[in-house]
Amino acid sequence: MVKFLDIIFNTGIGVALLGFISASAMFLIWWERKVSAWIQNRFGPMRVGWHGLLQPIADAVKLLLKENISPASADKLVWWLAPFFAVVPAVMAFICMPFDKNLIARDLNTGVLFMIAITSICVFGIFMAGWGSNNKYSLLSAMRAVAQIISYEIPLTLSVLTVLMFANSLSMQDIVRAQSKYWFIVYPNLTIAFIIYIISATAEVNRAPFDISEAESELVAGFHTEYSGMKFAMFFIGEYTNFFIISAIAATLFLGGWQGPFLPPVVWFLLKTYAIVFLLMWVRWTFPRVRVDQLMAFAWKVLTPIAFVNLLIAGLFLIKTR
Amino acid sequence: METALKESKCITTEEFLINMGPQHPSTHGVLYLELKLDGEVALGCTVHLGYLHRGMEKIAESRTLTQFIPFTDRLDYIASMNNNLAFVLAAEKLLGLEVNARAKYIRVVIAELNRIASHLLGIGCFAQDLGAFATPLFYCFRDREKIVDIFNELCGNRLTYNYMRIGGVQFDFTKEIEIKIKEFIKYMSNKVNDYEWLLSGNVIFLARTKNVGVLLKEVAINYGVTGPNLRASGVKWDLRKDEPYSGYENFQFDIPTGINGDSWDRYKVKLEEIKESLKIIEQAIGALPEGDPTVKAGRQHKLPVGEAYMRSENPRGELGFYIAGDGSFNPYRLKIRPPSFSNLSVIAELVKGCKIADVVCILGSLDIVMGEIDR
Amino acid sequence: MKKYFQNIAIGALSLIKGLVVTFKNIFCPKITLQYPSERQSMAERFRGLVDLRVNKCIVCSQCVRICPTACLSLSAKLTEEKKKALESFKYNMELCCFCGLCEQVCPVSAVYLNKIYEVASFNRQDLYIDLLNPEKYVKFVNPAVK
Repeated sequence: MVKFLDIIFNTGIGVALLGFISASAMFLIWWERKVSAWIQNRFGPMRVGWHGLLQPIADAVKLLLKENISPASADKLVWWLAPFFAVVPAVMAFICMPFDKNLIARDLNTGVLFMIAITSICVFGIFMAGWGSNNKYSLLSAMRAVAQIISYEIPLTLSVLTVLMFANSLSMQDIVRAQSKYWFIVYPNLTIAFIIYIISATAEVNRAPFDISEAESELVAGFHTEYSGMKFAMFFIGEYTNFFIISAIAATLFLGGWQGPFLPPVVWFLLKTYAIVFLLMWVRWTFPRVRVDQLMAFAWKVLTPIAFVNLLIAGLFLIKTR
Repeated sequence: METALKESKCITTEEFLINMGPQHPSTHGVLYLELKLDGEVALGCTVHLGYLHRGMEKIAESRTLTQFIPFTDRLDYIASMNNNLAFVLAAEKLLGLEVNARAKYIRVVIAELNRIASHLLGIGCFAQDLGAFATPLFYCFRDREKIVDIFNELCGNRLTYNYMRIGGVQFDFTKEIEIKIKEFIKYMSNKVNDYEWLLSGNVIFLARTKNVGVLLKEVAINYGVTGPNLRASGVKWDLRKDEPYSGYENFQFDIPTGINGDSWDRYKVKLEEIKESLKIIEQAIGALPEGDPTVKAGRQHKLPVGEAYMRSENPRGELGFYIAGDGSFNPYRLKIRPPSFSNLSVIAELVKGCKIADVVCILGSLDIVMGEIDR
Repeated sequence: MKKYFQNIAIGALSLIKGLVVTFKNIFCPKITLQYPSERQSMAERFRGLVDLRVNKCIVCSQCVRICPTACLSLSAKLTEEKKKALESFKYNMELCCFCGLCEQVCPVSAVYLNKIYEVASFNRQDLYIDLLNPEKYVKFVNPAVK
């Protein structure tokens, strides 16, 4: 009986999380369109709902009704599985996302590790999509994506490691609690770590200026060129969910997570997350795209060395203060 | 170890062909590039043309000169006014017509405005090709819109103007239009700084464009490259200065040139030319002579037996019209020398050894319009 | 080593400059219009569809002759007072390039270009227009404008 209740409880958490994820992805799509429109002196979506707030829902309905076209010479199994690989890991990463003191699905004691591991599975989805499509543009895009995501994993992990040294824990909640006095971003080491994290996280989720894997002006649409209808929508949702996740991790690790005065913790968490989301959108709609070799050079010649040195200095600093 | 080596020899790489276009986001129309790739690196490319061929030169043989002016709008549809100007200059040369001073000045103002509009679009599309998704493009369109509005008020259309007439222009400037143009000069002089901040100084933009697609001076001359692309390679050749027409000799302006002939120089020359064009407009609008520049459209011109070739400086380079008359109302033969055709022909030289992203960058920096290549 | 960090600093500064430009533009007035409800007012000389003031026409056929794409065609008849009058005036919008030459050659300004610019149609037949029909352009006028 207890086990049965447990199952129901867990299912409830799952459904709530899924609901939140789809709502947040839709909100992010609307928000992205609005921010881009404002930057470009436009209005953006204005018709469906208040200032076009329901536009993503209308788009989702449209995509659901569309025909699923699959290329004749595609590797069918790989091609069909790819969208799931894009969405499922993104959803799973929400398991140890601390929205509040108690509002967390599972406070794993290796939470950060789990997050980093699970978010990097997305690259399989992209590669499978590119490989399975049997399209030269998609294949090129998939190869770019793999090279990019694997290289940027290193500075990303190194910058997160700096935080872990300060927090002395791998659990997300412990990291948030360690920031009860000061947010981690006030330490100079962690400011640098934050910048490295933001840059490599942008590359990790294939957003401009690092969106070489779906480089619209070069590779048409990259790995999702051949996808239509709901499969395309799944890539889209996966992309925006990942985008939310990296912003939320940044808010948790560097900006004190749900901690803050006056407002309820959940509001603080979302505020900080959306601030970072806005920053990344602002960046996306401003800069040109970097070239693939420059991207790799930047990861290996600039970000990784700085992250290593930063980690070393942080270690020395911690030894001295303790 | 040995077996591993043996196996590694079994793994071979091979070049593959990729069809870029005719439907592609960044081929500026219906251009079809057959790219030969080795991984990310382009080894060469073949250009296939003709997807936008409308037989303009043949059409001209069954039209009178006035009737052909609307067709010149559709050559380089981004700089219709300049095409109009080049054509009417050629026609006037053949017919031996003299144009009054006011018409000349109005033509200069209009041609330079359209040059700015065209360069803005070139810069915006170039930034778009580099992946600055839509934002610089929208800013360029915002500023171009002001020019298009002026043209709309002046001649009643926003893209295909059909404004120049053989022997003059269609409409005279009104007071409001003069004020609007003066306002635009002020507005644009400020806005140029935005582009400098947003693109020129940007480290990503520099990294993407510097030393990409270097067009050497000799190669450029051999291929007949003209316009900003030639000037970016360091050749100071501008028909407005070297072979003045339509009263360009009366104005003070510089010819910006590049040094290396890379994509960056081609961008920078365009941006500098916008500033120079603003100078020319300011001088011309300030010293508009009196007179009636308008010409009735209904006037038919009988072409003399003979031929004339007139070239003028289009935003993209040297646009030439060759007209041969045989004593009838229609030209016996009309040949168009479009600048984009020569500018595009150089691409096979430039893309060798570039990344795919650079191919797009080079194509964007050459700033071609398929309408006049295929005609 | 110094140059390495200098380059990074210069790069970062240039990126911030770009961000400043876009941030300023967020607060600039919007330049687009909410199209079907808000419309740009068309210029005085705007060249839309070819239109005819029937009673002014003197049937001189200059418009037909000047048209570069031969999209106009007319036929005349003789009235009882031995005057020329219009029998039919056909306009093929498919061919029209909206150059406005017909308007400019018309000696009595009977042919003119109106301000209609929304000319999409599901039916090709809609594009062959009889200019003598007073209700010829009703289908192209958007109900939202009325």
